[in-house]
Amino acid sequence: MFYISISVIAGVSVVVSRIINSNLAKIIGIFQGTFFNYVIGLVFSLMFLFISKETIQISNLQSKSIPLWAYLGGLVGVLVIVLSSYVTPKISAFYLTLLIFIGQLFFGIIIDFFTLEKLSLGKIIGGILVLSGLAYNLMLDKKQELT
Amino acid sequence: MNNLLSAFIGALIAVMIMINGTLSNAFGNYTSTVIIHIIGLLSMIFVLLLSRSNLKIVKGIPLYFYSAGAIGVFTVLFNNLSFSKLGVSITLALGLLGQSLSSIIIDHFGLMGMKVIKFQKRKLFGLILITLGILVMTIF
Repeated sequence: MFYISISVIAGVSVVVSRIINSNLAKIIGIFQGTFFNYVIGLVFSLMFLFISKETIQISNLQSKSIPLWAYLGGLVGVLVIVLSSYVTPKISAFYLTLLIFIGQLFFGIIIDFFTLEKLSLGKIIGGILVLSGLAYNLMLDKKQELT
Repeated sequence: MNNLLSAFIGALIAVMIMINGTLSNAFGNYTSTVIIHIIGLLSMIFVLLLSRSNLKIVKGIPLYFYSAGAIGVFTVLFNNLSFSKLGVSITLALGLLGQSLSSIIIDHFGLMGMKVIKFQKRKLFGLILITLGILVMTIF
């Protein structure tokens, strides 16, 4: 039950932090808001690293086994936060959640296909169901706007 | 346009998870989170300099407005804890449940400065399809 709860809370925290970030961005600017996001995030991740007692394997730093692109996740993350701060005030929180999910799911399927050379049928069928449910509700909204 | 942009954010997140997962395999969860934040912070400083944005402290902003970065680190921590016990797909499905429920509630009451978008009963059909889709993905 504990692990189920923290998974759900992890989901809630995604939505809450997105909205808080966009509120800050509205006041001080999107780039500035993202900057503070990373300053505070770095402080907390250093704290967690300290508490976790995870050893930093410096030997890995010199190893050639890690490709350079593995270090660029932070760069992609910046783009994610900048774009999220821009779009969050413009559409409903629920639609944003679903649209992000759909983009993530289908691009994830494509990545899996090219890197693992396997295609997950369950994910494709499930993804189409999610997409049709979202499309149906978006249609209801469109109809309401017209009347 | 906003809808497309939102789906694009999702695609970026898929790429990011793949990249960060590779880093995490090499360094461990916590060390890689620190590396990710350092790279993110450096690129953000670069963007600020390039766009010549000025960074001034605006007074009177409630402290929790700055908390998003901290919450993000908690998200990572909670996911890590749960991944190890429940596995990837259950964790993701439950996380998505948390995201969906909280955003429906936030929309309905217009919490945290968001526009009020009341939940309508006729949208239940779409919601059932969405839930079914997530179930299918988790089970298969």
